[in-house]
Amino acid sequence: MTNGRFSRLFTSWAVQVRVIHALMIRELITRFGRENIGFLWIMAEPLLFAGLVGLVWHFSHGATEHGVNVIAFVATGYIPITLFRHGVARSVAVFTANQSLLYHRQIKIVDFILARFIIELLGSMMAYLFMAVVLIAFDVFPIPADIGLLIAGWLIYCLFCFSLCLIIGPLSEISEAWEKFIPVTTYIMIPFSGLFYMVSWMTPNFRDFLLMSPFVNGMEMMRKGIWGDKVTAYYDIWNPIICSAIGIMIGLLLCRRVRRILTVE
Amino acid sequence: MIICSNLSKAYTHGGQHKQVLNGVNLAIARGDRVGLLGRNGAGKSTLIKLIGGVEMPTSGKVTRSMSVSWPLGFAGGFQGSLTGFDNARFIARIYQREYSDIRRFVEDFTEMGKQLRMPVKTYSSGMRARLAFALSLAIEFDCYLIDEIILVGDQNFQRKCQAEMFEKRQDRSMLVASHSPDFIRSFCNKAVIVHEGRATLMNDVDEAIEQYDRL
Repeated sequence: MTNGRFSRLFTSWAVQVRVIHALMIRELITRFGRENIGFLWIMAEPLLFAGLVGLVWHFSHGATEHGVNVIAFVATGYIPITLFRHGVARSVAVFTANQSLLYHRQIKIVDFILARFIIELLGSMMAYLFMAVVLIAFDVFPIPADIGLLIAGWLIYCLFCFSLCLIIGPLSEISEAWEKFIPVTTYIMIPFSGLFYMVSWMTPNFRDFLLMSPFVNGMEMMRKGIWGDKVTAYYDIWNPIICSAIGIMIGLLLCRRVRRILTVE
Repeated sequence: MIICSNLSKAYTHGGQHKQVLNGVNLAIARGDRVGLLGRNGAGKSTLIKLIGGVEMPTSGKVTRSMSVSWPLGFAGGFQGSLTGFDNARFIARIYQREYSDIRRFVEDFTEMGKQLRMPVKTYSSGMRARLAFALSLAIEFDCYLIDEIILVGDQNFQRKCQAEMFEKRQDRSMLVASHSPDFIRSFCNKAVIVHEGRATLMNDVDEAIEQYDRL
């Protein structure tokens, strides 16, 4: 009996992997086509954003801040936040955009969100790697002091982004009013994303306040992983993990509910 | 077998409430060819979507113990911005079939040649029908759900459908919504009338068509 259940679980898992793979390829073809550099465009935006804002800061704030190179500092902040902003933007109305594919029973609505999120994730990881390699070549970016911590921070940051996407996708389907609030919410999120600062630069009171944001915790981990002893980092690994777990639960419940009332043309 | 037990579906939009199906009980056995009759808006497409798992019932349950195709109709199943071949590749992937086999069958069955390299949104409904039938026949389902679309095809297409669907695959089941009494009379051995939210299965097709005419 348990054996049968396990093999069923395994088959379903294999089906979902196949579906997500197919959805990702389909998404890449529709978004980037097969011409010129194709899906490498996905790296372009985070790179441009990080690079140009980094340069602006370089000239307005000076080459270093608190002993850390400004361009590298801004770049490490901007690439994660473009992942967050793109992920959220891509989750809005994701079911309506893909509804013709719901004719195939093996495609679940969570697959739509997952496929799009994984594409954004791969894009920003490639951008991150590319940027780091280039900046290391120019000697403005250190070889990461603790690569494990960097990756852990990145994964935790991504997990929280994903949990938000999982909530925003179905919500945008329930009420269009939600969509109107998303641009302003992502904008207000910027100060709470840990983008422009290390928490240690703040006063203790404000520091505790900022550390309530899961993004800040993830960002502190990444920066500690990169600069090591050159910076002081404050983080609690459980905050983003617990927030993501709660977010994913709510998101999955919402998806289930929305699927029941979704009308497909 | 496909068993619908106590199936209900209501749509709610902006405070408006419409009960489309209300307690439908229906069983389709292996080899049944069921014609679906009903006036416009009676709920034929809704019933097909519920059986196909495209939409979820408000209450009740659909049990499928054979493989059921996606509803072949005017909408759905394809991504309009992708080409016919890309859609075929996508479907081969999610149904775990060899793309080369599917492609060969699709090229052969649709006779659409270079058109298959064009986005599906540029296709006429007849061409869509050809592609949908070709793909679902290539995958081989036990039961085919067909929503109207069979009649948009030309003579050549109808002949092919006849050969592939009704001669080569006689053991398969079929649920087909159609307004053509001739079609249902010649291809179905049972009929369902959908009226006022209920569905009645009748074993005598002629009697069902007579009843449908009086609606």
